[in-house]
Amino acid sequence: MLSIKNLEAGYGKVKVLHGINIEVPKGQVITLIGSNGAGKTTTMRAITGMIKPTSGEVTLSGEKIDGYDSHKIARLGLAHSPEGRRVFTTMSVNDNLLLGAFPRFTGSRPKGDIQNDLERALEMFPRLKERRNQLAGTLSGGEQQMLAMARAVMLNPDIILLDEPSMGLAPILVEEVFKIITNLKSQGVTMLLVEQFAAAALNVADYGYVLENGKIATHGPASKLKDDPAVKAAYLGGAGGH
Amino acid sequence: MMKLKSHIPLLIAIVGLFCLPIFIHNPYYIHLAETILIYTILLFGLDIVVGYIGQVSLGHAGLFGIGSYTAGVLFFHFGLPIWATIPASIIVTAIFGGILALPALKVIGPYLAMVTLAFGTIAQILINEMTWLTEGPLGIKIPKPELMGVPMTKAEYFWLVSAILIISLIVVDRFVKSQMGRAFEALRDSPVACDCMGVSVYRFKVIAFVISAGFAGLAGCLYAYSEQYISPNTYNNELAVLFLLGIIMGGRKSRLGAVIGAAIIVLLPKLLDDINLFRIVASIIAIVVLVGAGLALSKKVTTPKRVAVPLIGVVGLAAFSFWLDSISDWRLSIFGFMILLVVYYLQNGIVGFAKSFYQSIAGKTKTNRGEAVEETDDSVSFISAVANQNTGAELLKVDSILMQFGGLKALNNVSLSIKRGTIHGLIGPNGSGKSTMMNVLTGIYVPTAGNVLYAGQSVVGKTSSDIALSGIARTFQNVQLFGEMTAIQNILVGLHHTFKSNMVEIALHLSRYKKEEAEAHSRAMALLKFVGLEDLANEEARNLPYGKQRLLEIARALALDPELLLLDEPAAGLTAPDIKELMRIIRKIRDSGITFILIEHHMDVVMSVCDTVSVLDFGQKIAEGKPAEVQADEKVIHAYLGT
Amino acid sequence: MEILAQILSSGIAVGMIYAVIAFGFQLTFATSGTLNFGQGEALMLGALVGLTCVETFGMNYWLMIPVVCLFGMIQGSFVELVGVRPAIKIKSEFGWIMSTIALGIIFKNVAENIWGRDALPFPSPLPMEPMTFLGANILPMEILVVVGALVMMLLVEFFNRKTIYGKAVVATANDRDAAGLMGINTSMVITFSYALSSLTAAFAGVLIAPLTLTGAAMGGALGLKAFAVAIIGGLSSGMGIIVGGLILGIVETATGFYISTGYKDVPGLILLLLVLAYKPSGLFGKSAIKKV
Repeated sequence: MLSIKNLEAGYGKVKVLHGINIEVPKGQVITLIGSNGAGKTTTMRAITGMIKPTSGEVTLSGEKIDGYDSHKIARLGLAHSPEGRRVFTTMSVNDNLLLGAFPRFTGSRPKGDIQNDLERALEMFPRLKERRNQLAGTLSGGEQQMLAMARAVMLNPDIILLDEPSMGLAPILVEEVFKIITNLKSQGVTMLLVEQFAAAALNVADYGYVLENGKIATHGPASKLKDDPAVKAAYLGGAGGH
Repeated sequence: MMKLKSHIPLLIAIVGLFCLPIFIHNPYYIHLAETILIYTILLFGLDIVVGYIGQVSLGHAGLFGIGSYTAGVLFFHFGLPIWATIPASIIVTAIFGGILALPALKVIGPYLAMVTLAFGTIAQILINEMTWLTEGPLGIKIPKPELMGVPMTKAEYFWLVSAILIISLIVVDRFVKSQMGRAFEALRDSPVACDCMGVSVYRFKVIAFVISAGFAGLAGCLYAYSEQYISPNTYNNELAVLFLLGIIMGGRKSRLGAVIGAAIIVLLPKLLDDINLFRIVASIIAIVVLVGAGLALSKKVTTPKRVAVPLIGVVGLAAFSFWLDSISDWRLSIFGFMILLVVYYLQNGIVGFAKSFYQSIAGKTKTNRGEAVEETDDSVSFISAVANQNTGAELLKVDSILMQFGGLKALNNVSLSIKRGTIHGLIGPNGSGKSTMMNVLTGIYVPTAGNVLYAGQSVVGKTSSDIALSGIARTFQNVQLFGEMTAIQNILVGLHHTFKSNMVEIALHLSRYKKEEAEAHSRAMALLKFVGLEDLANEEARNLPYGKQRLLEIARALALDPELLLLDEPAAGLTAPDIKELMRIIRKIRDSGITFILIEHHMDVVMSVCDTVSVLDFGQKIAEGKPAEVQADEKVIHAYLGT
Repeated sequence: MEILAQILSSGIAVGMIYAVIAFGFQLTFATSGTLNFGQGEALMLGALVGLTCVETFGMNYWLMIPVVCLFGMIQGSFVELVGVRPAIKIKSEFGWIMSTIALGIIFKNVAENIWGRDALPFPSPLPMEPMTFLGANILPMEILVVVGALVMMLLVEFFNRKTIYGKAVVATANDRDAAGLMGINTSMVITFSYALSSLTAAFAGVLIAPLTLTGAAMGGALGLKAFAVAIIGGLSSGMGIIVGGLILGIVETATGFYISTGYKDVPGLILLLLVLAYKPSGLFGKSAIKKV
């Protein structure tokens, strides 16, 4: 579904990604883990058009999307729940969700039953249902994360990119978030999950890539990576000596 | 020897100016030249606002008018001589400048442009209305000033204006090369960093505008005596736009650009009134641009796409001029069209364009600026060994800080105690609140609740620059250097606090200023040497490799003579050898008694360098202690890895 | 009492015009951080095009309004494409300020050449006899101005809140990057906000034209007043614009009456400076959070 080849990207003079390769097959949950500064968010931004890659290829369902503007990529069926949530703070929860389905209103995506999907999304995220008319800016961090994910779901996308959904959340909320991700997985949603919280990510994913200093250090089936000492070292710099 | 050579163009200009009225007797041309000189003085000032601090002022015609009318009114009602009206014009106009700038520059945005536009319009209206003071539309007649009882001749007045121009040139040049000029450039490159280096952005923006108003007042006064008649309709918005066009077309941040701009301002209206002259000039410009474009294309310096619009623009303009019978009906449209072309295709002005054109054709590039690198004096102690060496005592107390953004609690009841002489690490997953804490400590955010006590004093509510000056310096997660300034200039901005000399001392290059400048330079070089960047002193900061940029930021922070140094992810993006060097530098700084708070993700850095580590997660502190203890702490492992 | 009523009624009418023009500033500033320094000229062109429709083509005033609105949209899109978009690309504030000023100068000159420099009367669709209310003389046209301005602003509010496209515009203003991720073409949103901004200005032009003389020079002063209102009310609040407009309109009319008409424009500047000094984001505005 999503194929990334030799991707290089950065900010101005600083090159963050030095050629990475990732495959996201349809129906699977792929996770990209690594410590901070490794380049995870840069990868997401380069895929979804928030920054333009300096070289390499990004292919979505056979179409080359590297260099496209974000809105074009979204209309092709790629939803992105960005780092830092980025909900529309001056609008209600309801409106935020409707905007997630924007391309469906305008005809760029198959319309389906938007209102129905909205109600179903609120069922999946009960905290949001209670607050549907509240301004998104007044929600807590965890609730905003839920909203960002629900908003991505509203696109009826072919693939969802989740960028650090656990960031800044209390452990109990992180559990809730990952429950929802598991739920989505059981519905067959293809996902690329970028996470700092390696254990939870590897629990829910099928396959994982470990990013270190802008390169893929190691990759493999999630179950194998879980016990890999290299993963632990990449994060904690050798709690077991290095 | 170097110094004399660089003064030669100036000397030629001075000689030329003084010879002009001797060889040219036609009063029309002398008057034309005189007007150009007067506008140049105004543009020197306007350039500080537009070129150096990067703001738009549409009110300089109004300020110009205030200068003229101060002279006119003082002469008409009180008979004061020029020696009184010049200082009066400068001061009165500067005051008006302050009245405009103080409110308008408080906010980021196009407010200064809006306020000055309103001001320019109203100034003209008021001058027109207040007939009891200004004689309104009748205007005021002013004779040439008297020199020893006799009115000056045209030539003598020309020499007076020339002399004042030369003085203005020297004064402006000295200002922009001094700590003031550096402050102006710094605030434009990175306002946040500027504040955190103890240079108040707001204060210097206002100072810049007031200085420019002073120059406008001076020009206005001289203009009154030059024209010998002033009336309100001269000082209109069209003139204000013309001034801006002059600065852009001539070239920003350049004295020569101001002269060229002034000439354009004087000659342009004449050009737009005479269709034949306009046809000739437009055709010449079209040919020049065609040839230049052809040259650039042949040398592959540019693409057809980039030259297409300006080429079509100037050729179209020339063609249009031949189609017109008379130009007067369309002069404003042509004027507007020229502004569009200049704003997008001549952004660096004629001076800037000529420089880069020459460089690209001749194949030279020069990013290295400044005087020859001075020898560093190793005996200069560049890190002021911190006075209070009471290691272990509490330097900074963070007391139950709550930082809330809407519904988000970025920091939730966090307390820290930073002991003198230690390196205190602050770690935690992304979004745990570390950078937010930095911003609270340096005054960028005001905490929702809680207190921060630095050496016993609360710093909550203080401005960033005050906090910086009281001894807390920082670096930034995304490097915030003053990109277009050289490495040494960046450090000199950090050393701004060592300068006590005022504008008069700078203008006259008095001894205190010269001493301060020399000392700052040698201290800056020593700091550069400390981080290993002494060879790159004159390189523009944005051209430095990433790792060196980070080191430069640390050196700049040291220039503040801090007691507490906050480093925000200093190792991010560094290679292993760079990281080793970084750690060596950090330890050496600590040995002079400076206390550190270090945000870092590179665990090896944290483990080997920190004395204490505090761990944040979800805006709260979850662990604290020696590095090894924290690394083995269950809660910490769970926060990072989830295992 | 009668004087007070007169000042209030005239002030409200004039203030609402300022508010409608300032409203246009808000639309573009919210989505793009820029505004049209030639907004007064957009109003002027709307009025003159309206005049041509009514006099030369014999159109009915009420039918002319949508035509002028359409013209306004085209004019606004042009300004954005030529003046603002290139400046946003190179991140130059100086760029869009100067180019919108330049376009304003060009529009004014073109208008002078097409319609001449004289001020022309605009036929009023409503009777010109004033009505009296509480001792004040109120022209029916003035009531139309107030009603028209309010209706226009309410329509835009409705659009923003109830239609998905309006929500897309608000989203762009709130977080441009995130809006892009939703599939919203944000540069088109900005062009649209300029089109809408000129539409409101052109509409204001045909509202006010019957009350004053129409000519190439009518835009300058009005544009400036609108600046003052935008700053006083705050560039981020619709309510603020209305309140700001009313305050300015009433203070101006009062100054004109009690001091002299020549000084009428002064209180605007003073209010502007005071608001910037004490509440820079405007009476109703919200200050933004810096992020480092």
